[in-house]
Amino acid sequence: MSTIEILFFFLSALAIFSAIMVLVSKNPVHSVLWLIAVFFAISGHYILLNAQFLAIVNMIVYAGAIMVLFLFVIMLMNLNAETEPQKHLWMKLAGVVSGGCFFLVLVSLVRQATDLNGKTALMKEGNIGLIKNLGKALFSDFVVPFEITSVLFLSAMVGAVVIGKKE
Amino acid sequence: MNAIIVSALMGVVMMFSGILVKNRSAVTSIAVIGLLILLVSNILNTYGICSIQIDTKGLLSFEKFGMFFNSIAIAATLIYVLLSGKEIENAGTYVADYYALIFFVLCGVSILSSFNGLLMLFIGIEILTIPLYILTGSDKRNLKSNEAALKYFLMGSFSTGIMLMGITLIYGATGAFALGMGSLAPSTGLLMPSFLEVAGVILLFVSMCFKVSAAPFHFWTPDVYDGAPAVFTSFMATVVKAAGFMAFVRLFDNHTNILGPSWHILLGFVIVATLLIGNITAVFQQSVKRMLAYSSIAQAGFMLFALYSVNDLAKEGILLYAVAYSLATIGIFAVLIKMKDYTFDGFNGLAKTQPALALGATICLLSLSGIPLTAGFFAKYYMLASMVKADGSIWLVIVAVLFAAVSVYYYFRVIQAMYFKEGEAAVSPVSTAFRIGLLALAALIILVGIFPSLVLNWFYF
Repeated sequence: MSTIEILFFFLSALAIFSAIMVLVSKNPVHSVLWLIAVFFAISGHYILLNAQFLAIVNMIVYAGAIMVLFLFVIMLMNLNAETEPQKHLWMKLAGVVSGGCFFLVLVSLVRQATDLNGKTALMKEGNIGLIKNLGKALFSDFVVPFEITSVLFLSAMVGAVVIGKKE
Repeated sequence: MNAIIVSALMGVVMMFSGILVKNRSAVTSIAVIGLLILLVSNILNTYGICSIQIDTKGLLSFEKFGMFFNSIAIAATLIYVLLSGKEIENAGTYVADYYALIFFVLCGVSILSSFNGLLMLFIGIEILTIPLYILTGSDKRNLKSNEAALKYFLMGSFSTGIMLMGITLIYGATGAFALGMGSLAPSTGLLMPSFLEVAGVILLFVSMCFKVSAAPFHFWTPDVYDGAPAVFTSFMATVVKAAGFMAFVRLFDNHTNILGPSWHILLGFVIVATLLIGNITAVFQQSVKRMLAYSSIAQAGFMLFALYSVNDLAKEGILLYAVAYSLATIGIFAVLIKMKDYTFDGFNGLAKTQPALALGATICLLSLSGIPLTAGFFAKYYMLASMVKADGSIWLVIVAVLFAAVSVYYYFRVIQAMYFKEGEAAVSPVSTAFRIGLLALAALIILVGIFPSLVLNWFYF
């Protein structure tokens, strides 16, 4: 087993364990902290794939900005283990059944995916994730969606102003 | 491309008109002029005159079908603004911003009618829905409006997440944003869909069902349509919904074979559930607004037939359905907004006090229920005919006809209240221009109902 494989399995185990902890933690603040661990593990995966830019952006945007937003919302709403709303037993059961069905489908799909057998991702080589190549792709092949996204941001900004301004 | 660029620019123009123009009805006039410019530029684009050419690297493909749909959506919005402009002005403080958001929605519509690949589909869906969250919550002092906006936003975000996961799986399987690429099976060398792609397509299907409020994913619709200000519900239930179906049909047009025979089982289940839940629940409603929300779920069931039977008749049918359904729903909502009381009893005796309003509403309701000589009849007819032509799923056609009969019951309850019940229907002041506009809309519905070729010929010439 090479170092990269050991790293890969370590990061995967970390990501899955933290993701489960996000769900089972009673305290919402602990959930958020575990979520940060998930994002760091995934950033580690990106670095293994030689996509440093994506890894850094993932850390800054998700583990940084969005997590701060999460924490603010939790603090503003004063959520903690005591005020957690009690869900109905049937609701929990329905959630388990539907989530379990979906999980079953995904697992069986991956098991049967013969076209993925014996394939591994490009580790530590391949330079598609470097910022130079990403920028080239963004401004040549994907320039139309890149520009059109500005309409999306503009409409979101107009919306934020409409919602936020005084009547 | 014209429609995408012009609608985005018009949105910016409307934003600035909010700063420069203080008179509310002047803002509406600017919006009407903007919509006219948009309509003309799109029609010119359809015939290849004055069209902006941009190399989109195959991410957008402009076909006549899509551009014709753009014209329908823009024309429907124009009729909507002309009829209900007064109510948009009174919906809240920021009239110009609401119009800007409506133009951005139209930008999303024109992306959805021309996307070629999942990346543009995602951007189009987002541009379509994000302004709607705001419009839903525009009545800030009304708790129901706030609740509806938050609910719509949260549920919409989840379904967007599901869609993104589907796109990711498809991208992981094929390495491209196109749908239906398939990958070569290592043993046989035949082109077959990867299993990841199948999972991705199912997730995409689920999220698109959510966006068009098809049955197992319809729970947000009644609350959002009921809570939003009635003017914006009208826009959401017509132009936006038709655009959702447009995207749905384009997405699954030639790629239904990915799922094999299970595709028809899956879709058949969704259609029957949509028709059942939409129609049966609508029967028990007391508020006309909420009834119309459920009826829009039921109409979605009919539009889903275009997905089941992918043929030319279905393509014509979905266009005709978009026209018929949009016109009728805009009309009935225009009347509903004028009512003080949204319950069935609120319509009692409307025919005595406001005969023009009652007549317009009646023709819209007849069209929605699919009575012959109205546009709705041929829309439903084309959908069912395409099913019969496609293959032997006659049982679905029979189910659809039965539920269409059920729908007559709740649409006629409104007509009965207007014409045969005693009462004083409280109506806000109605201008003569509104009456003329409503009757012209009713005339248009009957005209399309007698000569559906008027609409469909445009598609070919």
